[in-house]
Amino acid sequence: MSQITESEERLLIEAAQKDPSRFAELYEQNFHRVYAYVARRVRDRAETQDLTAHVFQQALANLGKFKWRGTPFAAWLYRIASNAIADQARRKTREGGDQVEMVSDSSAAQDLEQVERRARLFGAVDTLPEDQRRVIVLRFAEEKSIRDIAEELGRSEGAIKQLQFRGLENLRNRLGEN
Amino acid sequence: MAERSIIDQLDDAVTALLAKPAIDWSVEDPAVASLVAIAQELRDLPHEEFRKQLATEFKGENMSTPRMKVDPIPKDYPIVSPYLVFDNAAAAIDFYKKAFGAEERMRFAEPDGKIGHAELRIAGGVILLSDEYPDYGAVSPKTVGGSPVKMHLWVEDVDAFAERAVAAGAKIVRPIEDQFYGDRAGQISDPFGYTWILSMRKENVSPEELQRGMDEWWEQNVSKDSDDRSSESTADTKPAGVHTVTPYITVKQPAELIDFLTQAFGATEKFRTTGSAGGIHAELNIGDSIVMVGGAEHIEAMPTAIHLYVPDVDDTYRRAIEAGATSVMEPMDQPYGERGAGVEDISGNRWYIATTFVPLQEIAKDLRTVTVYFHPIGAQSFIDFVTNAFGGTELMRSATAEGFIEHAKVQIGDSVIELGEARHPSQPLPTAIYMYVKDVDAMYERAVKAGGISMKPPTDQDYGDRSAWVKDPFDNVWYLAAPKTA
Repeated sequence: MSQITESEERLLIEAAQKDPSRFAELYEQNFHRVYAYVARRVRDRAETQDLTAHVFQQALANLGKFKWRGTPFAAWLYRIASNAIADQARRKTREGGDQVEMVSDSSAAQDLEQVERRARLFGAVDTLPEDQRRVIVLRFAEEKSIRDIAEELGRSEGAIKQLQFRGLENLRNRLGEN
Repeated sequence: MAERSIIDQLDDAVTALLAKPAIDWSVEDPAVASLVAIAQELRDLPHEEFRKQLATEFKGENMSTPRMKVDPIPKDYPIVSPYLVFDNAAAAIDFYKKAFGAEERMRFAEPDGKIGHAELRIAGGVILLSDEYPDYGAVSPKTVGGSPVKMHLWVEDVDAFAERAVAAGAKIVRPIEDQFYGDRAGQISDPFGYTWILSMRKENVSPEELQRGMDEWWEQNVSKDSDDRSSESTADTKPAGVHTVTPYITVKQPAELIDFLTQAFGATEKFRTTGSAGGIHAELNIGDSIVMVGGAEHIEAMPTAIHLYVPDVDDTYRRAIEAGATSVMEPMDQPYGERGAGVEDISGNRWYIATTFVPLQEIAKDLRTVTVYFHPIGAQSFIDFVTNAFGGTELMRSATAEGFIEHAKVQIGDSVIELGEARHPSQPLPTAIYMYVKDVDAMYERAVKAGGISMKPPTDQDYGDRSAWVKDPFDNVWYLAAPKTA
């Protein structure tokens, strides 16, 4: 995820308002942010995915209403996400099911800083050397054991642990550089 | 007990925090702690498929807008990628995952699992692939009888990469060695008929040095290429103009057969004499090949199956029928990459006449007009035998999922033989082969050790050869021969 400037973002939004097929670029720019925002509040992975998809669908449907006022596009997406999460929680309560697991909301600014950091972290995973990237993805996104990963990649468990270590080290360093 | 390494400590923490996602995990070692913190945040790492799938919702073609703006070159593809066709694409994907650590990123399958399109990432590159769709020109190496295209792959550790591929079922075609051009490289063939050149750069070599290295390599290898090849298996003492493997067609009426071969296949007789058993012994040229014909009424016939590669199969087939052969199959395009026909001659030899769609040498360097075709019962054991006994090297095989070998090519010395598991009533059709070898005694011993039956131990012949006869476990007779004096 490359960072874009405010004016670039504005151009992207205007382009997408005229031609919805340009929305894909806004999606790519903001996917990790929205996902991280939702994931911090909703622990369940399937629900996080549903809500993330919903946020982008809503954003696309309402893009024409978006007015540029100098606040980042992401803030608008966070608002949509926040509403969607609240709606979901209300619906669940009505249905008598479990409440959506809400994670404590600390001060908003600090929270958004965390979300941005996490979005950068997710984006950084894409930039890892291929073998490290795969181990990180299999281990954390797919929650596979070291043994399963070793089998899938045809390498020793020691080698996988080593790649996990190097991958995390690289991610830490990349976050530090920002 | 030794202290657990940092790497293991880290993994312990990761394992624990993945198992109990609600708990914040803490470790004491600060070096590990900062990494565990990263790991903790990664618990929310999104699935890549989810991200891509959702992205497709917003891609131009799905947006029902009148004017679609799409990047004409998608970002996640190299500009050039091979599109490989397999006789069993699903098995190929499994193989590449195991052998090359490939990552499957896309698969579209028919309800029965037949793959219409799939994509793999291999070592940072991308290959596109599908099952066979002959109607659309998509045929696999198994069908065509090999692939003229080889894949080249840069890898970080070529030895480890090759070792893993071999463990998964690949075969070494050229061993991994340091090359004069600065790479460490070798070639492997996969079970699906594709060859992969594996390379890792060791040093950058200037164009001048490269030319010098090329000259030296040429000097050392190519100028004595034929010696090298023969030292692996067979002859360097064979007379000029002959090949390692020559069919020895033994029939009751050799004179009639020679007439037939002349009329039907344009054979030219080089000489005719009386053989050691009192029958005719003749040598003929057909195309770029030599055929020996021998036998007599009192000698047991050994008809042979020959794959006869000719420029015009229809014409040759017509001449063969006119010369008295019986049609086994009229000329027709074959799915395995040739136009083929079949005839049986007056002596019961079977000729698979074929015109290939690509030049013969592109299929196998030493493939010639006359190629002996074996139909053993137990094709795999036969390949093992010629490998162990004569230093044969398997060039390709086409086999069913159950391992039934439909067709294979094996290099012996400077020659190629072909074979397929016996399945026709007229098969296995054991035959006789005249084979020039470097050292008759050594080859004889090796053949017997590999399971051959001695029919005649090495003996000096009065016509100048030293020869020995061995019958293989499939009843083929191999006449091993070398000139007495080189």
